[in-house]
Amino acid sequence: MTDRQDDQALADAAIDVSRDSPLNGAGVAPDPAWFEQSVVEEPFSRHVLTTPLHLDVAAESRTNRWVDWSGYTVADVYTSVDQEYDALRTRAALSDISPLIKYRVSGREAVPFLNRLLTRSVETLNIDRAARAILCAGDGNIITQGMLFRLAEEEFRLVVRSSHLDWLEQSAIGFDVRVEDVSGTIAGLSLAGPAAAKVLAAAGMEKPEALSKGEARWEQLGGMPTYVSRTGMMGGTEYELWTDPSDASVLWRRLLDAGRTQGIRPVGAAARDVARLENGVALEGVDYQSALTAFDSADTRTPYDLSLGGLVDLERTVFNGQKSLSRVADRGSASVLVGLELALAEGAPIGPVCMEESRVGQVKSHAWSPSLQCVVALAVIEASALGASDGFTVETAGSSRQPVKLAKRPFLRFS
Amino acid sequence: MSEDALQYDAIVIGAGHNGLVSAGYLAKAGKTVVVLDAAEFVGGAARTAEISPDYQVSTAAHLVSSFPRRVEKDLKLSKHGLSWATKDMATVALDRDGKHITLSSGGKNDLMKIAAHAARDGDAWKQFDARMRKYVKLLAPLLEGPMPQTGKDAPSRLATMMALRLEKLGPKDLRAFMQLMPSSVAALLDRNFEGDLIKGALSLDATLGNHAGPHTPGTGFSLVYKRALEAMGQGVGYPVGGTGALTEALATSAEAAGVRIRLESPVNQIIIEDGRTKGVRLEDGTVFEAPLVMSSADPKTTCLDLVGARHFEAPVATHLSRIRMEGATAKVNLALEGLPTFKNFTDKEYGGRLLIAPDMGTVERSFTAAKRGELTLEPVMELVIPSYHDPRLAPMGHHVMSIVLPNMPYEINGGWEAQRDMLMKRVIDTVREYAPDISHKIIAGELLTPPELEESFGMSGAHWHQGNMSFDQLLAFRPAPGMANYGGAVDGLYLCGAGSHPGGGLSGLPGKFAAETALAREKSK
Ligand SMILES: Cc1cc2nc3c(=O)[nH]c(=O)nc-3n(C[C@H](O)[C@H](O)[C@H](O)COP(=O)(O)OP(=O)(O)OC[C@H]3O[C@@H](n4cnc5c(N)ncnc54)[C@H](O)[C@@H]3O)c2cc1C
Repeated sequence: MTDRQDDQALADAAIDVSRDSPLNGAGVAPDPAWFEQSVVEEPFSRHVLTTPLHLDVAAESRTNRWVDWSGYTVADVYTSVDQEYDALRTRAALSDISPLIKYRVSGREAVPFLNRLLTRSVETLNIDRAARAILCAGDGNIITQGMLFRLAEEEFRLVVRSSHLDWLEQSAIGFDVRVEDVSGTIAGLSLAGPAAAKVLAAAGMEKPEALSKGEARWEQLGGMPTYVSRTGMMGGTEYELWTDPSDASVLWRRLLDAGRTQGIRPVGAAARDVARLENGVALEGVDYQSALTAFDSADTRTPYDLSLGGLVDLERTVFNGQKSLSRVADRGSASVLVGLELALAEGAPIGPVCMEESRVGQVKSHAWSPSLQCVVALAVIEASALGASDGFTVETAGSSRQPVKLAKRPFLRFS
Repeated sequence: MSEDALQYDAIVIGAGHNGLVSAGYLAKAGKTVVVLDAAEFVGGAARTAEISPDYQVSTAAHLVSSFPRRVEKDLKLSKHGLSWATKDMATVALDRDGKHITLSSGGKNDLMKIAAHAARDGDAWKQFDARMRKYVKLLAPLLEGPMPQTGKDAPSRLATMMALRLEKLGPKDLRAFMQLMPSSVAALLDRNFEGDLIKGALSLDATLGNHAGPHTPGTGFSLVYKRALEAMGQGVGYPVGGTGALTEALATSAEAAGVRIRLESPVNQIIIEDGRTKGVRLEDGTVFEAPLVMSSADPKTTCLDLVGARHFEAPVATHLSRIRMEGATAKVNLALEGLPTFKNFTDKEYGGRLLIAPDMGTVERSFTAAKRGELTLEPVMELVIPSYHDPRLAPMGHHVMSIVLPNMPYEINGGWEAQRDMLMKRVIDTVREYAPDISHKIIAGELLTPPELEESFGMSGAHWHQGNMSFDQLLAFRPAPGMANYGGAVDGLYLCGAGSHPGGGLSGLPGKFAAETALAREKSK
């Protein structure tokens, strides 16, 4: 640059500085452009939703296989279901569970409100503890299920599969309580597998193994406030980490780094579903339909039908579904969800479940369990057929009827 | 039962006619009963009071058209002072030019007057009236008792009740009925009549007391339902001494049966323990205990305020919170120095139930104004001169006039204080078009705006039926889906007011059926 050019540039800069820069001291009129937001997105303009971890997840994907979860695009398979399953059951698995629906319930009457909303009283739930939560409709059928966290005396977080703010708001009539959908403000990560605690320790958490099942606590992981809970639905050692969406990406990478020596892997929805099935957990939208959105009411289930009667306490003040549920409790379920094992190497059970010549039920979901080396399935069966313990058959793809065995849930037990 | 006892078999909230009927039937069945009312008087909206000294009028509800003979007999009301000044008031639609029409069941003279407005309407009315009677017969069995109890066979029993009668209707009437069910009364009347006056009057009848206009869907059915309720009664009547005399007789009869009536006792809580009623708490803290609580306060207030939403499963509380009971009525009562002169009036017409609703447009506009929180320019009204039948209501030769003004906004733009004189003026101006000398005859008058009616009669929202009487809130849906059995949601609590089946108006039937349901349920245990 020549001197002359230099001078010219300086002169230009002088003019520019006096006009534009907020650094130029008092007396400068602010330019509205300084305050403009760079990206403006119209509300509801996006139809394909991505979670705060989308870019990180995409970077790990080798298959480009995605799946829809409550409108969000999440990874179905990163590399291969086998590899991911293997990490989940023998090492450590990291997954994005941000699409879960989260409600904040707070206020003076949060407890009585939740007592009426859920099938169990929340009175005894301690702060920093989580309990399984079931919401039933007036007819006793399940609307959705999830976990209820008590964050403070009068503050709870309800994490569920599907969105039912309208139901919560209706249930809030007459209570001094505030219900907010905070799904967008909390990202969720699941860290599961036998090495999960070690990974967490390496990521900076003190004594993660001291956290008992259903317990939760605030942690600073690399300076990021994270709520860590010992919760999950796949069986085995599971942690869930709840954090600010803007921290989620850093936390994700931090956990992957910390877990490298443990053989951690990002694990997609497909492998998680195998694990959830092995754990015998019925999934809303698959094994049963929500009472509020079911197309056919025959697809809805009461907690008793899913053998979750232990999570229903009938002997207390009014709660949603109480009247109907006491009738079910008296009479018993008409049809129940059971676990089935098929000694098949391959072949999906597709047809109805039969007993001798008559049809007694239907398989809802199934998977090849690498740990058990058989096909495990959840099926809905007429309660009257349950007297017998064997003699059941099921139609499979390709071959004719195969014998199936009733199995206890969870199929897979962890010490 | 001693004067200060606090324990009873049953507590009835509200000493309106329904509460008193309930109490009467419970006492008849041997129950000890206390009736608690916030007001200083018995009667609820059926009460007689002075406009000014020596001029008595039924302050709010002014006609008795659905009160069954059965209830009168069961509770021995005539022995306890009830007598009727008249039981057959004709409904007269007023015409500005004096060509009034009488909506009777087909006297030749009446038909001619109808035909004077539009030639074919005389015959049309005859046919219409006959068809309405058939529909009324169809509905009658549904009003004669509680809706079938909930239970597996309830729908089929309901269907059988209806279906038998539907078959009897014949294809033509059946088609007409099916078309009527969702129709607006305007569509129904346009299909049948030409004359503006007859359509105006019938559309007012169909919507009176409801937040609806002639073009509101479902008002065709409301007209049938109203007539079905009237068929339960003994004709459009006026008790000697006004509607207050009816409730006085009910109170005396109840007291004779051992019922204790305690006034100035506002209930502010219905006490629930272990999912069933235990009693009530008054505003001053006094607690009355009883396993049975009957409430004639409206269902929304009873369940959501007195009991509390938390004692119901959310779907029930939601249904309750959605009961539509907007819309309101105002009342004008006038003390008159003599009978005003209506153009071309005969004797019978002076003693009639007079409707001012010149055409459906005027009725619709009153509804539109109410929706907007405005005062209609041309008020429509139901007007009676009770002293014509019951001279003791006013000094010799003097009269009282009682005017119901439907479709008044509960909340009015600018506030009622600023608008009440304007309303009074518009009412008098409107009446003057039919009785030009009215202004000269007025000695005193009172206007009760919707908030004032609410205040003095404890009717929340000043809704006279404790919930709109439209198809979606009648029969099995009254007061709310799944609650048509006078309670059900909380053990021991029964809803016995106008908000329950078969609905509003001075019929006493919600009170009777609620008591019977409670007694039957107790027996079955
Ligand atoms: C302006 C007007 C005109 C009407 N005209 C007619 C007519 O001409 N013909 C007709 O048939 N119907 C008419 N109605 C309708 C009729 O008045 C009602 O349908 C009828 O009064 C309902 O009777 P009820 O006993 O159910 O309730 P109400 O008569 O309203 O009685 C309820 C009682 O409960 C009491 N109460 C409420 N809450 C409490 C509490 N918390 N604690 C203690 N007490 C309480 C109230 O003080 C009241 O006395 C009219 C209504 C209005 C408003």
